[in-house]
Amino acid sequence: MDTILSLAGVGKTYKSGHVALRSVDLEIKRGEIFALLGPNGAGKTTMIGIVCGLVSPSSGTITIDGHDAVKDYRKARAMLGLVPQELSTDAFTKVRATLEFTRGLFGRGPDRAYIDELLKDLSLWDKRDTKIMELSGGMKRRVLIAKALAHRPEILFLDEPTAGVDVELRRDMWRLIAKLRERGTTIILTTHYIEEAEEMADRVGVISKGQLLLVEEKHALMKKLGKREMDILLVDPLTAIPPELAEWDLTLEDDGNRLRYVFDAQAERTGIPSLLRRLPDLGIAFKDLETHKSSLEDIFVDLVSEKKEQAA
Amino acid sequence: MSVGAFNGHGVWAIYKAEMARALRTLWQSVATPVITTSLYFVVFGGAIGSRMQQVGGVDYGSFIVPGLIMLTLLTQSISNASIGIYFPKFTGTIYELLSAPISAVETVIGFVGAAATKSLVLGLIILATSTLFVDLHIQHPGAMIAFLVLTALTFSMFGFIIGVWANGFEQLSIVPALLVTPLTFLGGAFYSIDMLPEPWRTVSLFNPVVYLVSGFRWSFFGQGDVSVGVSLGFIGLLLLLCLGAIMWIFRTGYRLKP
Ligand SMILES: Nc1ncnc2c1ncn2[C@@H]1O[C@H](COP(=O)(O)OP(=O)(O)OP(=O)(O)O)[C@@H](O)[C@H]1O
Ligand SMILES: [Mg+2]
Repeated sequence: MDTILSLAGVGKTYKSGHVALRSVDLEIKRGEIFALLGPNGAGKTTMIGIVCGLVSPSSGTITIDGHDAVKDYRKARAMLGLVPQELSTDAFTKVRATLEFTRGLFGRGPDRAYIDELLKDLSLWDKRDTKIMELSGGMKRRVLIAKALAHRPEILFLDEPTAGVDVELRRDMWRLIAKLRERGTTIILTTHYIEEAEEMADRVGVISKGQLLLVEEKHALMKKLGKREMDILLVDPLTAIPPELAEWDLTLEDDGNRLRYVFDAQAERTGIPSLLRRLPDLGIAFKDLETHKSSLEDIFVDLVSEKKEQAA
Repeated sequence: MSVGAFNGHGVWAIYKAEMARALRTLWQSVATPVITTSLYFVVFGGAIGSRMQQVGGVDYGSFIVPGLIMLTLLTQSISNASIGIYFPKFTGTIYELLSAPISAVETVIGFVGAAATKSLVLGLIILATSTLFVDLHIQHPGAMIAFLVLTALTFSMFGFIIGVWANGFEQLSIVPALLVTPLTFLGGAFYSIDMLPEPWRTVSLFNPVVYLVSGFRWSFFGQGDVSVGVSLGFIGLLLLLCLGAIMWIFRTGYRLKP
């Protein structure tokens, strides 16, 4: 598959001096669904803003289907559609009129049939002559999605598409995304949730503190991220981990009241049964067990330290 | 940037959206200036004018018509255009304009074109209103239209710049209130600057509005405070200044992009 969007050395330092993006290199393939996964303030919106022309980059170049995003901005931008994170809408305009406005702005002549289709796809048909300010938040988000599609973009950016969205809209959105994908539209979305990236994307980019830590096929990443933690709640606290338990690489948490074991849930041998047999042998009594997925933060910490090791 | 053709659909979309905004508030857009102007006629034309009689062979009531139209044209052009661009900035919908394949010039044509259209229509309405109060005979209708159009365009651009610059609604109204209205009142809208004693006469020549009102008045009565060529040249210069500032705003993203 060929590349439809490429970022080379793209960085952004805001006027406040805050470095929001550090020299990002990224290639998006034609027709793929790419999820940008990262915590609050990671730089996801900044990155999308730079590609779409909302934020001026401090460094780097962006090429959209062979067109430089600055020099050849007309052709480049005509290919893009953006659903922003914030619900920014023109309160007094009616739904159909606002879609027609966007279509015109992107240089396309009227196409009533297509706008009708969009209105129906996003369950906005009944609201087509309603002023936007009279719509609910979820409906406004539908309007923003429809606007972003009004000129049939080849690349669609969805900045946190599921924030504040109910089950029904989520389902409508998945259906729409599937339809767009069949049509060959490339989709780039941002999310805080691993599950969401897992559900939708072909590839996932993990971003934290303005750094793109890694880009992986979803399945490869899920393996990497498929770590689980088991906490063993002790009856009597420990001050140190006995050397006999060294092979499990445990950590002591909660003032010695918890032993934490991190294991790979997808591995054939998790090491749990042997660990649990070993504890009574050493005279360590426990009263409860808890297991959970590693939090996003843990994963980021892991990835960052991994990356540092690789660099060293 | 030479790539691609002119985005006519984009310009039309902006123009139409801006005109639709004006139509939503049609009554206040038209009623306010018409009532204000009528009051000026009553106060200046009726009460004071009856004592002033004539200025340079023109009835005082007629004499103030060009100045009144200019006053409306300036304030309306500025407020229309400044709100037009400030509002998307305020609500965040500016993201669409910034992400669209539309050039600075095209964006300005859309916004400024719509703002200028609105104030031109208002100017003509006021002209029509004034014929209810005084007899008017326009000597150079072609030149009058030219002055109207150039002034509306120039000050709509100026308004656009204010809208981009403003960071709040107070700033939006501060320039018209502190700069434009005083300059218009002191710019010979209600008198000929020949009537002023020195040094105020000379000082007035630094007021850009003097040139606008003078040229516009010339198109009505064939006489002005300065020659019509100077007036035209001056408007042209202002127009170029505003255009330059707007180009710079879009090139640098000033107050539009972080
Ligand atoms: N206009 C601005 N001026 C200064 N700093 C900014 C500006 N916009 C964003 N930032 C900072 O840049 C960093 C990245 O912000 P960005 O909005 O790109 O993050 P994000 O990954 O989209 O976060 P979230 O998940 O919360 O939406 C943040 O620390 C933010 O405070
Ligand atoms: Mg964001």
